[in-house]
Amino acid sequence: MMINFAALEVGKHFYWHIGKLEVHGQVLIVTWIVIAVLVILSSLATRNLKRIPDGLQNFMEYALEFVQDVAKTAIGEREYRPWLPFVGTFFLFILVSNWLGALVPWKLITLPEGELAAPTSDINTTVALALLVSGLYFWAGISKKGLGYFARYVQPTPILLPINILEDFTKPLSLSFRLFGNILADELVVGVLVFLVPVFVPLPMMALGLFAGSIQALIFATLAATYIGEALEGHGEEEHGH
Amino acid sequence: MSFQPILLAVEVTEKSGGLFDFDATLPIMAIQFLLLVAILNSTFFQPLLQTIDSRNDYIRDTNNDAKARLAQAEQLALDYERETAETRKTAQIMIETAQAEANRIKAEAIAQANLEAQAQIAAAKATIEEQKAIAFAQLEGEVSGLSRQILERLVGTV
Repeated sequence: MMINFAALEVGKHFYWHIGKLEVHGQVLIVTWIVIAVLVILSSLATRNLKRIPDGLQNFMEYALEFVQDVAKTAIGEREYRPWLPFVGTFFLFILVSNWLGALVPWKLITLPEGELAAPTSDINTTVALALLVSGLYFWAGISKKGLGYFARYVQPTPILLPINILEDFTKPLSLSFRLFGNILADELVVGVLVFLVPVFVPLPMMALGLFAGSIQALIFATLAATYIGEALEGHGEEEHGH
Repeated sequence: MSFQPILLAVEVTEKSGGLFDFDATLPIMAIQFLLLVAILNSTFFQPLLQTIDSRNDYIRDTNNDAKARLAQAEQLALDYERETAETRKTAQIMIETAQAEANRIKAEAIAQANLEAQAQIAAAKATIEEQKAIAFAQLEGEVSGLSRQILERLVGTV
């Protein structure tokens, strides 16, 4: 029992086979839980909307206004509205994933192989999210400017063309690895501390993990919104990694 | 407790999986995320944004209404003040006019009374003078009669 509780399992996955494809079952299970939490919370909050908000509606309005503020700051007052669901869902999904991963004692549930953890500590999740961000900002730019969007690659000067192209690769790379690295590292640190000293000592690290989890969600959402905003604006001025 | 799990994990990493094990999880996660965006858009973002918008409209309308009412009330207060001031001024003028009138009437009455009194005094004096004259005349008559009598008596006795 103690072994189960304190064991570190890195890079082991609970494989499910769908036809010829392999998927990470532990990631999908926790993802479904995260999605269920979000959907249930939001439907409960919006089931009986009132002019004077109370309880859950108030809380969810606060969350909405928070992500609205993020999107508005990065994309601009006029154009943020269609992108708000994406930016907001990035934030909420990553935040709830990170927090569920840090708060729920998943180790009590034993899988045949691997262990349940935050979906964001799996590279597949973060790369999927980061590629979606790439797709979104391309879509944003092209839907606004058509093929003229690609003119930004030779702005302000054609010499920057390779760097501008490179940036389209570094953006998803940095987005995905930042999130993945932070969450996985935190889980590993907590795991090692629990392995070494099972009482009290890991608590500060766990608190730090909660903090880092929310910060990472905010960073991811802010960067996604910034990239979309840049694509809509499109005059050189790209920011490099944060 | 032993380090066996870690060693085991490393072995497994070499065999299959590992930290950077890309497989069908990736597209599935992407699709799930897009589904989540769609669901949250209809259950969370749109309803709440609509509620917030309509609330903002309501607050703005109510605020404008209240401002209009306040302006109206202030206007009414100003009108009232002005009317009160006018009325007070009118009343003041009326009081002053009435006082002046009263004073005038009083002065006239006093003057009239004085005149009448002087006239009566003069009349009374005249009557007194007249009666005095009559009385003197009578007395003079009596005096002459008495002196004649006195003379007769004296003459008679002589």
